[in-house]
Amino acid sequence: MMQVNRDSILVVSATILAFFLLMVGFFMLLGKPPFEMIGMLLTYALGDGYSISQTLAKTTPILLCALAAAVPGRLGLISVGAEGQLYAGAITGTAVVLAAPGLPAALMLPAMLTSAALGGAFYGYVPGILRARLHINETITTLLLNYVTVLWVNALVFGPWKDPASQGWPATISFPQAAILPALPASRIHLGLLIGIALAIALHFFFTRGASAQKIRILAGNRKVGEMFGLNFGTWVIMLMAMGGAIAGIAGIAEVSAIQGRLQPTISIGYGLTGFLVSWLSRHQPLIILPVAFLVGGLVAASDALQLFAKVPAASAIILQGLLFAVALAVPGFIKSMRPGYER
Amino acid sequence: MMPKAIACFENVSRRFGDLVAVNDANLELFQGDVTAILGENGAGKSTLMKLLYGVYPPSNGRILIDGEPSAITGPADAMSNGVGMVFQNFSLFPALTVRENLLLAWPKTPFWASERNKGTSEVLANLTRLAPHINPHSKVANLSVGEQQLVELCKVLNISARIVILDEPTSVLTPAEARHLHGFIRQIAGEGVSVVFITHKLVDVEACADKIAIMRQGKIVDVSIRGQRSMSEIVTLMMGSDVKRTMSPPALPKKPVERLFLNKICADAPGMSLKNISLSVASGEVVGLAGVAGNGQALLAEVIAGIHPVTSGDVVLDGQNLVRRNQMETLATPLGYIPEQPRENAVVESMTLAQNLSLRTLASGGIDVNSDVQALLTRFHVNPPEKDRQASTLSGGNLQKLVSAREFGSPRAAILACYPTMGLDLSAIQTIYLEMFAQAEAGAAVLWISEDLDDLIAGAHRIAIIREGQVVAVKINDGSLTRDKLGALMTGMNLDELVA
Repeated sequence: MMQVNRDSILVVSATILAFFLLMVGFFMLLGKPPFEMIGMLLTYALGDGYSISQTLAKTTPILLCALAAAVPGRLGLISVGAEGQLYAGAITGTAVVLAAPGLPAALMLPAMLTSAALGGAFYGYVPGILRARLHINETITTLLLNYVTVLWVNALVFGPWKDPASQGWPATISFPQAAILPALPASRIHLGLLIGIALAIALHFFFTRGASAQKIRILAGNRKVGEMFGLNFGTWVIMLMAMGGAIAGIAGIAEVSAIQGRLQPTISIGYGLTGFLVSWLSRHQPLIILPVAFLVGGLVAASDALQLFAKVPAASAIILQGLLFAVALAVPGFIKSMRPGYER
Repeated sequence: MMPKAIACFENVSRRFGDLVAVNDANLELFQGDVTAILGENGAGKSTLMKLLYGVYPPSNGRILIDGEPSAITGPADAMSNGVGMVFQNFSLFPALTVRENLLLAWPKTPFWASERNKGTSEVLANLTRLAPHINPHSKVANLSVGEQQLVELCKVLNISARIVILDEPTSVLTPAEARHLHGFIRQIAGEGVSVVFITHKLVDVEACADKIAIMRQGKIVDVSIRGQRSMSEIVTLMMGSDVKRTMSPPALPKKPVERLFLNKICADAPGMSLKNISLSVASGEVVGLAGVAGNGQALLAEVIAGIHPVTSGDVVLDGQNLVRRNQMETLATPLGYIPEQPRENAVVESMTLAQNLSLRTLASGGIDVNSDVQALLTRFHVNPPEKDRQASTLSGGNLQKLVSAREFGSPRAAILACYPTMGLDLSAIQTIYLEMFAQAEAGAAVLWISEDLDDLIAGAHRIAIIREGQVVAVKINDGSLTRDKLGALMTGMNLDELVA
């Protein structure tokens, strides 16, 4: 479990303080009253039921994409493919809905989710096998493959999957009620969040208990030693890449089904990359990813609202996210360097 | 009047947490002197010199350079002040060539350092003098450990250092390379450089030290001038007790039963290929494999351990084939295998000592660490013997002991040991040999790769010689083998040439 001690409390409070100061500076540069703006951010993130629902709606894909990056990350792989895998899952999940729109929910939801997971898994498997068998860097292949699925979605919704009734709007038909993920009434908190939390807990045990946990640790620590004792690095690369892909695939279909209600070009606003950063900030630890994803989800939701109501530029959301990540990475190192006895 | 010391330690101490690595050390270094710092693993030799090199500041006391308190703040600063250090772990870029590595570390390198730039030819001057056999255009990754060390040394000499610190330089060299290095050290000392030679080998001290400082448990226990003390006195001071190094290989069984077969092994790796290597080792037999570094022994070891695939041939142990045919396959080696360079090849640094001792269990799906880890740590003198300590915090010598503990800790059908005593002090070497011979006595077939010819002659039943990827001779060690005979076979020179 996460160890809470004086050090981590110091790191967390210093990070929040530094982020706060940078936000103040940022809003002053924009010519907005900083404290009022920060107050609004908090209100829009957590102020009422609606805000919390918005925050959790953004948390869900970020959480799933972070887990998708964390799974191969535990083996020391740097996969930035969650975005592409998310789109792949959206495509294969949607395919089930389009092929059998009349299925009852009890069949539709499992079939749709499974198909999405398989689509995402395939999209992780490809760079996985390229890495395992041909030694092709997984970071490059996952990055490049991201562009491919985004374009596949475009090709489909502009072409064969376009709703004939939509009059030029590039999107599939609206999903039938049976294909919409169940959500809390009058909110955007849907089943995807529950899946994400369950996966985070399951992955925590997968990575810390049991035989697989030890094997992954050995291979991540020293591949040569693992192979000396009969562990196959390539097999694990493929397995974990596919596993991560499956999780991102679920994020994709969840967005399509619960939030958008149909497949259309912009499913994700960079959730894949945000998730990647969340995973690295949390050192690929699922139980730390949970709160970090919530925090970032709140920031994303609130800066969306801020842009709408306080007339700050649209890029503010990205800038604030960037500030948060930079601070979260820099502060622990800075604190460590201030300790007596720190060695260069 | 006494010449003035170029560097002087005054009551210097260094603590890491509770550990006192250097305790109240006083030492003077003079121009043109070779000062050997002698001591066992963990005696504080490297730490003492890292204080001079600016890696750490001292916790107490001060260091004077030319009579002034040292203002060195870090290695880069040390180098510009004429202090250079060659570490046990090298700082070369494997993907670059020798010349490129030298250029990178050279302060005079022009912004545009092309092949035709005349100004850069000087960077190779020391290399040509010290190691003419190294091609400056070959990649560092393709050099043997010994050759890399020489390149590292050239890097330091290129900064025209007044003080050159060598951290156990001969532990990775062949006897011939070591002799060459000794000669070179005398030469640069003659040119006025103050050389500090960290070692635990008496041969080094005998060959080239002017002054011998002996460290034990963080303290400098003795400083003497060459010839002042006998070698046995020095050993006693170093070990703290009178321990003699003796070797008693187990008696060969009356009727040897062949157990480990290498049958016509051929394998290819970048820059090296093995050609038709055949060798058999009987139960209870210790076969030494001698060769100059970079002649295929590292590749052969990986083939036997099932890490590198063969192109043809087999390795058979008790009827079971050990080699892999292609890169996709993986098999757990049934051998007790000690690879060279444990930090890179044999331990998982992010795991604890207990987990590292239990890697066989963990890798095959077990969850719990073995129960006898504490006993193993004590038996093999791993220091500190704390089973929950992370392996990355151990020194190279102690990692070597850790790996030996894992591999020799329980009975094995066969042992493959590559330089199992590299970087170890005398008492640890003793332990390793005892354990290795005990394995043979219990019936294991032992294949022992080493460059220490004296040890091989003292401990092996037979000695095979590998040169350019081939086994060129297998000699029965019947008392007639000498260093020079083996050396001649290793290098392919005849005896007369070797003497000349």
